[in-house]
Amino acid sequence: MLTTFYKSSIRNLLKNKTFTGINIFGLSIGISVCMMIFVVVRFETSFDNFHKNKANIYRVISQLHNANIVSTNSSVPTPFPAAFKNDFPDVKKVAPIYSDGNDEIEVLDNSSHVTKKFKEATGMFFTSPDFFDIFDFKWVVGNPSMLNEPDNIILTAGTADKYFGDWKNAVGKLIKRNNQQVYKVAGIIENPPANTDFQLKLVGSFNSLKASKNPDWGSYNSAMGTYVMLPDHLNSHSVDQRLIEFGKKYKKGVDEVKNIQFLQPIADVHFDEQSGNFLGRSISHELIYVLIFIGIFILLIACVNFINLSTAQAVNRAKEVGVRKVLGSSLLQLRTQFLTETSFIVIMAVIFSLIFGMIFLPIVKNILDIPISVNIFHDPLIFVFLILLIPVIIFLSGFYPAVILSKFQPIKALKSKAYSKSNGNISVRKGLVVLQFVIAQSLIIATLVIVQQMDFFTNHSMGFDKTAILNVPIPRDSVSQNKMQFLKDQLNQQGGIQKYTLSFASPADNGNWFSNFKFDSSKETDFGANIKWADHNYVSTYGLKLVAGRNIVESDTASEFLVNEKLLSAIGITDPANALNKIINLWGGKIKGNVVGVLKNFHASSFKDGIPPLLLASNKKFYSMVGIKIASKDLMKTVNDINSIYSKTYPESVFEYQFLDDKIAKFYSDEKKLSQLYKIFAVIAILLSCLGLFGLASFMAVQRIKEVGIRKVLGASVNNIIILFSKEFVLLISVAFIISASLSYYFMSKWLSQYQFRIDLSWQIFLFSGLISLVIALITVSSQAIKAAIVNPVKNLRSE
Amino acid sequence: MIKLEHIFKWIEGKRREFILKDINLDVAAGEFISIMGPSGSGKSTLLHILGLIDTPSEGAYYFMDEPVHGLKDKQKSNIYKNHIGFVFQAYHLIDELTVYENIETPLHYQDVKSSERKAMVADMLDRFNIVGKKDLFPSQLSGGQQQLVGIARALISKPKVLLADEPTGNLSSKQGQEIMELFKTLNNEGLTIIQVTHSESNAKYGSRIINLLDGRISF
Repeated sequence: MLTTFYKSSIRNLLKNKTFTGINIFGLSIGISVCMMIFVVVRFETSFDNFHKNKANIYRVISQLHNANIVSTNSSVPTPFPAAFKNDFPDVKKVAPIYSDGNDEIEVLDNSSHVTKKFKEATGMFFTSPDFFDIFDFKWVVGNPSMLNEPDNIILTAGTADKYFGDWKNAVGKLIKRNNQQVYKVAGIIENPPANTDFQLKLVGSFNSLKASKNPDWGSYNSAMGTYVMLPDHLNSHSVDQRLIEFGKKYKKGVDEVKNIQFLQPIADVHFDEQSGNFLGRSISHELIYVLIFIGIFILLIACVNFINLSTAQAVNRAKEVGVRKVLGSSLLQLRTQFLTETSFIVIMAVIFSLIFGMIFLPIVKNILDIPISVNIFHDPLIFVFLILLIPVIIFLSGFYPAVILSKFQPIKALKSKAYSKSNGNISVRKGLVVLQFVIAQSLIIATLVIVQQMDFFTNHSMGFDKTAILNVPIPRDSVSQNKMQFLKDQLNQQGGIQKYTLSFASPADNGNWFSNFKFDSSKETDFGANIKWADHNYVSTYGLKLVAGRNIVESDTASEFLVNEKLLSAIGITDPANALNKIINLWGGKIKGNVVGVLKNFHASSFKDGIPPLLLASNKKFYSMVGIKIASKDLMKTVNDINSIYSKTYPESVFEYQFLDDKIAKFYSDEKKLSQLYKIFAVIAILLSCLGLFGLASFMAVQRIKEVGIRKVLGASVNNIIILFSKEFVLLISVAFIISASLSYYFMSKWLSQYQFRIDLSWQIFLFSGLISLVIALITVSSQAIKAAIVNPVKNLRSE
Repeated sequence: MIKLEHIFKWIEGKRREFILKDINLDVAAGEFISIMGPSGSGKSTLLHILGLIDTPSEGAYYFMDEPVHGLKDKQKSNIYKNHIGFVFQAYHLIDELTVYENIETPLHYQDVKSSERKAMVADMLDRFNIVGKKDLFPSQLSGGQQQLVGIARALISKPKVLLADEPTGNLSSKQGQEIMELFKTLNNEGLTIIQVTHSESNAKYGSRIINLLDGRISF
């Protein structure tokens, strides 16, 4: 029954190799984009889904009120978990977690000699046995109760392999953290899966931490957090209600009830960009939706191409349809035939999309920097997804052409009049082209806006010097602090260095220290100032500007302060000179000093945030890095020299460095990922849309072949014909431009509004994207128009 | 076997343009009718109405004593599947199918079994002496050969009526004569044939001639 259907179908596909090729290529690109987005979205939405108690696991979130700004944070006051466990006896499991990252781990041999050193960026993770009752991490050796012993440490198998060659040899061995505390390896857990926010490496006992003894209910350390598991009968809202009373009870006199705690389901943790997580990487729901929409849009563009190309070809199939109808074929049989043809193309496209997927998945993985498996054959769900996608694509792209084709009236079809008058579907095709270009142009505009904003991030002045400045972390323990002078002496003798400064942080840094303060004997501010602990060389090394007063003098302790303009405006001082010689009082008088100078505002964090009030003072014991302005042209040689100085000074530590401009660029890594993704998707979208235009143009060329012939006989030139063809497309693209410009104006303004410092949406961006799509489209169309125009008119007219 | 009563066909426009006016026609089984007339007289439209691929604007049409005016597409398709064969001036073979496959196609639509189809197509190829051409594509055949294939395809489903729209229009006079001889033979075997033709000599092969002028049958 089916044989001649397929024979004519397959022969048709082979005869029109260009169309078939374009169709398969376009669809397979669309499908592979969908497939990659599926892989990414699936990975991101699978985070911490594997815990069997996941429905009952919550993270404690603090809502912080700071000078009229409300923010949420995953940190809690240190005494919170213990008090919570005490006051909520019905909540069985409460796990404090603590990790401040960047630990230096030394592996010791039996006689306590250091054999190896490692820098662990994620740091040691401190918690209680409850953590392992809440979460499902598999134990290889030992059990959670080992964490009751302060000196025990649990390693993951991978970390143990790294330290001891083989995890089987690890139990009982010793390691030292940050040149301070020694731990004994007690247990081994399996490496956590890639899709958990807890990328554990070393797990220690929370009780072993000095920081765990901090009784202060008023301070929030971002390293400190709490997870709880509620029993089935307990609802998180009722716990939230009780937490308000709980807060009143413990936080009396601290921050009253202003800063409250509440529970967040674990399912929301990976998507909460504001509060962050232990992994240090989250993805917003918005970005996931954007990805899904882009996937759908690109697939739509590909399907529209298919529709345009197949209906364009319909002319050639009209006769076959007519004959088949006269020979007794029913509508259904014809539709089945055309859908079968579509299915064939779609299945071919799916096969090709697997190849594209294998090529592009590693690229996407690199851009997004996520640990997904690049081998698509590892994941059977990808195939399930593709198999489910096949009927959707067949329906989307095959249904309309099948209806159009099978509707041809046999008499008209046999008289080759099927395409004579506008039978309505040309406007459908035009509508589809407009849709394609709305999508493609919107993506182009979005890309241009993001790229411009990225440029702004890298090129706009931050108010300080960030080029050729090296940041080298130094150890902070008391032994190391005594070596600071030795380090300075060495650096003073080293050539190639223009200036250097010891400080807590660079002018813009990831780690910031905020504290409230008293200004000139007024009462304590209700907002915090960003404190830059730094020596007197800080201002000159980073090129900070003073608007009033002078720089601080050399000192090991805080005796003089610099403040910034923002701080003055926050406390209501308009003339910087008025601030000079006023007293700054920190932490109830523990630190006190005069304001000696006022700094011009500079950006102390990314352009996403505003400029904070800022204090600068010397305090040797908080210095944790050296900032070195390199004068020499040969950067790397100087870095090597500094490395040897470092090793001489701190032989037990690992030398690390970062250029300040790289550090700042990393503030925008999410935006960078986004811009790279958009670039790729915009190119794909415009490419696919042009494939569709090509289809429509060639359709028009066929449809208007007689008209072209007549016009040429009447004296039209090739140019006239090209203009005739292009006119319509210019109109279509203009319509698309109006729609896409207004859509993207709305959405990109919204996107930009998240940045305190941002570019203006200029009309040039819109004009440029409109022109670029117009030019690309015209090139595509004129290739077909020229083809139609240079044919000898006699040939065109004879075929009638 | 075919009866037309007061058939009108017009095109709606600013004013109605009549193509057929009050056609009354009786065709008995076994007749060989030639419809003649100048261009635009409505010959083809009449043939298309007879073949159910066009519908009259008004009037009644009985095919094998059954009223077929106002039938649904599907029921019409059943009638021409089983009872009507078409032959066209431009042959209208499916370009992508071989001679063999072209002839076989109608059988697919009648759900004939594969073994039976083979026998029937082989029979037809044999009868029209085109066994050697069965694997060629239409473009590889002469016009006369293409028309032979077209006729073979029309006859494969053993229709009661063969409708031919200027079957020799694109052929040389010799080829045309051969086709007409074939029609004569088929008619003698009992097949009802209605053809539209321009040619007096071709019309003479038929048992009756109907002249159309401006949409009316003229006597």
